Amino acid sequence: MGYLMPGDDEGIDAMAEASLPAAPRIRRRHLWVPWLVALITLFLWWLVTALKLFPPVALPSPGAVVHQLVVTATIGYSGSTLWADIGASVGRITVGFVAAVIVGVPIGFWMASNRVIFAAVDPLLQFLRPIPPLAYIPVMVIWFGTGELGKTVLIFFCTIPIIIISAMSGVKNVQETRLRVAQVFGATPLQQFRYVVLPSALPEIFTGMRVGIGVAWTCLVAAEMIAAQSGLGSMIETAGGELQISVVFVGILFIGLIGYLMEFIIRTIEHRMVPWKGKA
Amino acid sequence: MIELAEVTKAYYGAKGQDPLVAVNGVSLTIQDGEFLAIVGPSGCGKTTLLNLVAGFEAPTQGRVELDQEAITRPGPERAVVFQQPSLLPWMTVAENIAFGVMLKAGRVGVDPHQLAHMVHMMGLDGFESHRPYQLSGGMQQRVAIARALMTEPRILLMDEPFGALDAQTRSDMQRFLLELWKVNRPTVLFVTHDVEEAVLLGDRVVVMTARPGQIALDIVIDLPRPRQWDLVLSHEFNQYKRRILQVLRPDRKSSRIG
Ligand SMILES: Nc1ncnc2c1ncn2[C@@H]1O[C@H](COP(=O)(O)OP(=O)(O)OP(=O)(O)O)[C@@H](O)[C@H]1O
Ligand SMILES: [Mg+2]
Repeated sequence: MGYLMPGDDEGIDAMAEASLPAAPRIRRRHLWVPWLVALITLFLWWLVTALKLFPPVALPSPGAVVHQLVVTATIGYSGSTLWADIGASVGRITVGFVAAVIVGVPIGFWMASNRVIFAAVDPLLQFLRPIPPLAYIPVMVIWFGTGELGKTVLIFFCTIPIIIISAMSGVKNVQETRLRVAQVFGATPLQQFRYVVLPSALPEIFTGMRVGIGVAWTCLVAAEMIAAQSGLGSMIETAGGELQISVVFVGILFIGLIGYLMEFIIRTIEHRMVPWKGKA
Repeated sequence: MIELAEVTKAYYGAKGQDPLVAVNGVSLTIQDGEFLAIVGPSGCGKTTLLNLVAGFEAPTQGRVELDQEAITRPGPERAVVFQQPSLLPWMTVAENIAFGVMLKAGRVGVDPHQLAHMVHMMGLDGFESHRPYQLSGGMQQRVAIARALMTEPRILLMDEPFGALDAQTRSDMQRFLLELWKVNRPTVLFVTHDVEEAVLLGDRVVVMTARPGQIALDIVIDLPRPRQWDLVLSHEFNQYKRRILQVLRPDRKSSRIG
């Protein structure tokens, strides 16, 4: 065979590809581990209750919790079903959280691009940040009562500093070379923002959102326990008062599951929107 | 015409620290259509010099002018191929290559034939919709070169553009660059650490001293074009190379190898 000419490489590629084995399967064998852990935990729980090591008012059996789940889901507990309480909680967090993102991201961008705005907002932000959001709950009750508005505002205020800070640091971490690329080609400030600044800031904004949703959820459940007639927090608070421990367990189970689910949703959106994260 | 007159660039660090002089009293005139190669030891201020011409930085002293007007900011007539990775990871290879044209003329302004031709010339066929992180280092560099060439700039500022390429690809790229230069006649400022490459490509070679960078030698390369690969074996070529190396490594100690 003689020298290969530029056009001949298709032949080489075809040859090489034909003899390649199929793409290696990603081993997913470790995926059963969490299920096994869950199963063992469930079994131990059942064992402890079956041996009656604790009185049933303190620790309900798995069977009792499942039974209570069916009851709260269908008949309801203290006037409202499980779904109604979940709906109330999820509705509040969605409105408060989305509002915090919509307002917080532009404020963060603005602070990163304008020293005066930064100087005006940053001290306030640094002052608010170390305050546990739970400390606002009494203020919320006094100002807004126990209605929907108070809790939505509370979520908004406990999430927004996190979102602002992540958007701001996302912008500040833009790689200089990438900005210069846009400037070289004569990009307008708007084009620089659209094609370089915004995509550079997205990974950090998503990180902020993932942290923020966790904080918001914790804060909401606490607020519902203190001042609400509906929601998962209110449900476990009422049940606790009536020593209905299995209802409390159902509530805790769903608080955990929903928190997990919300983080998962944000992570999925992140994977779609920032596929290059960690690779560049 | 690009003109640098007594240009000094110092970087000011923390308070109390002495400023770092990167470029010291450089005067240089580059005619339109000239191919100027710049060589010098690492850290001598070659990138700083390009940054001044690109308009990313302002000189501490002296003047940097394009057609008798001070350069104050980057502009689309001066395309840059950066030394550092500079592709936008959120865009595909094709989008990166078309980025400059797209900013100016919008998505519809990108000529698909020109894009396909550029992809082909850069040996990137089949990688149009890949993302930069899926390419090798040399391929990424070729995308960055293609992006600069796509806009057909009047002035090309290239900072060690072929540094990450193997010998074969590198000479392919050199040939492509020279062919393009022959047709469009852009002014080229070409930074390299490879003396042979500088002599092979340049109309003129500027040699800089170690920091603070000054011009140690400014030499016209009077070799006929088109240049063949075997030029590097010729006597004249090696004369040029020797003169440049003598300036780059003046003392016996630093020129000893074994
Ligand atoms: N933004 C900056 N701030 C402070 N010092 C800088 C900056 N940019 C460059 N320098 C300093 O200026 C000097 C020259 O740097 P420059 O990047 O121009 O060198 P170079 O000739 O391009 O080197 P190389 O061949 O390694 O790329 C170096 O000592 C470097 O530390
Ligand atoms: Mg450099």
